[in-house]
Amino acid sequence: MLTLVARRLLLALPNLVLISALLFFSVSGLLGNPAGMMLGQDASPAAIAELAHKMGFDRPLYMQYLSWMGSALTGDLGRSYATNESVAAALLPRIPITAELAVLAILVATLSATILNSLTVARRVVRPVAAIMGIFGITVPNFMLGISLIFLFSVRLGWLPTTGWAPWSDGVLEHLRHLLLPVLTLSAFYFGSFSLVYRAEYEMVRKELYVRVARAKGLSETAVSFKHVLPNSILPVITYIGISLGQLTGGAVVTETVFSVPGTGSLFVNAILARDFPVMLAVSMLIILGVVLMNLVADLLYTVANPRIRFT
Amino acid sequence: MIPLRAKPAIGLLIIAAACLAAAAAPMLAPYDPTQTSLLALNPPSAAHWLGTDELGRDILSRVLYGARISLGVGIGAAAVATLLGVPVGLGAGYLGGRTDLLAVQVIDLFIALPGLVLALIITAMVGPSIRNLILILGFVMWPAVARMVRGQAFAVRESVFVEAARAVGAQSGWIIRRHVWPNVVHVVAAQFAVTIAFAIFTSSSLSFLGLGVPPPTPDWGGMVRAGFDYLIVNPAMSLAPGAAVALTVAGFYLLGARDS
Repeated sequence: MLTLVARRLLLALPNLVLISALLFFSVSGLLGNPAGMMLGQDASPAAIAELAHKMGFDRPLYMQYLSWMGSALTGDLGRSYATNESVAAALLPRIPITAELAVLAILVATLSATILNSLTVARRVVRPVAAIMGIFGITVPNFMLGISLIFLFSVRLGWLPTTGWAPWSDGVLEHLRHLLLPVLTLSAFYFGSFSLVYRAEYEMVRKELYVRVARAKGLSETAVSFKHVLPNSILPVITYIGISLGQLTGGAVVTETVFSVPGTGSLFVNAILARDFPVMLAVSMLIILGVVLMNLVADLLYTVANPRIRFT
Repeated sequence: MIPLRAKPAIGLLIIAAACLAAAAAPMLAPYDPTQTSLLALNPPSAAHWLGTDELGRDILSRVLYGARISLGVGIGAAAVATLLGVPVGLGAGYLGGRTDLLAVQVIDLFIALPGLVLALIITAMVGPSIRNLILILGFVMWPAVARMVRGQAFAVRESVFVEAARAVGAQSGWIIRRHVWPNVVHVVAAQFAVTIAFAIFTSSSLSFLGLGVPPPTPDWGGMVRAGFDYLIVNPAMSLAPGAAVALTVAGFYLLGARDS
């Protein structure tokens, strides 16, 4: 197992370097000289040149990249152009918030997709309802779903806070009340796509011989579905989780913006709107790193869920 | 299930409605979509069926005109994605070997990256305009098309008629055009509709985040964002364009999605 992890990490390394270099070169190439942007339009060329020299913008791009990478590895991500705050200090407290949101959303999506599609009671009603909900989940954009939920539960019914965030220190209940709608919003798309993948596999597994045996020995339909079909149909969902985690960050960006959640996604949007290069770069790298790591985790989960598969 | 068979028909119906709104917007819309007035933030009434926005513009007219932007960007981006993705997919799937390995590397790399985040970064750098959005979204979405086409071409490559064509000495280019392409085209068509769906999805998300078609052009994502601040005063300002996005995306998705 340990060698597997090490090997996969080693394989992911070139990809990381390649993407980060591409990102760095294209972003700084297109943005031009940030010194001019930082000083504003009235700055004299001499002042711009001086600042550019001080900040190292006049060095060749690959040198800038290497020095960025070097300090990033020691935990120094530079300072924000907009606030002059340390990027690492702004970024670090936001990571757990986004991570919590993402993990809960995936969990909710996985559980609801598998359980709802495995139910044998009132199957004729549950199945079509689940299918239609899935289509809604896939096609309704996060911002629309989020705003509709806010309108219904916060504005009309007044059950939940409209937006904002309550940390754990404000109490568990308060935390969950602020968490509920964002998690639902983020999970909807994955409920839909996991359902598709799960249903297809479920129907195949249901025809297997061991399922017939389970039924023949007198197990109830529910027991057959949950004990024998479900565990054998969940593999494609796990693979799919790995693939979707990258896309999930996109959904998180929109969801955090709608609900004013102080996570990495909203930081990213603000950085992009302000053309705040160091923050943009740091968050993009974090996203890429997350995608690579999550893919690895999904691969490992895959071997746990199906001992027949062994990666070498 | 019966509704499943009706899915493409429902999709077509929605698309037809959206196309009608886009084409006949000047006739259907009761007001000029950019005409401001003093009647700001009016709730729905007989004169303004969906009310007015913060600048007194008629929301119904803006939603109708917004169909033009969404459909234009969606179809344009899907066309770009298809033009880029189909040749790569066909080449990789049919030729196999090293070409395939390289193509799959690039495709997988792109697919792992979040499309919306990528589109956000590129849009921030080159600036939002309708033409840029079409190109950016097309660029972000071509790998999905390429992967789909590659899989299909890979399957066709093994069929007997392709082997026969190879045996009589036909060249790769000719086989791809004459034998592979006709067996792939239905997948490309279905994928085209799905790509339009996600192009509209992504472009409206970009506008919602503030990086879409610049105002005062009526654009659904941007309208949802503007209406978000007035959700209590006139919810239709946000919910009507949002529903229009969701419906249009669902229309193209139902038309093209083959699974479920």
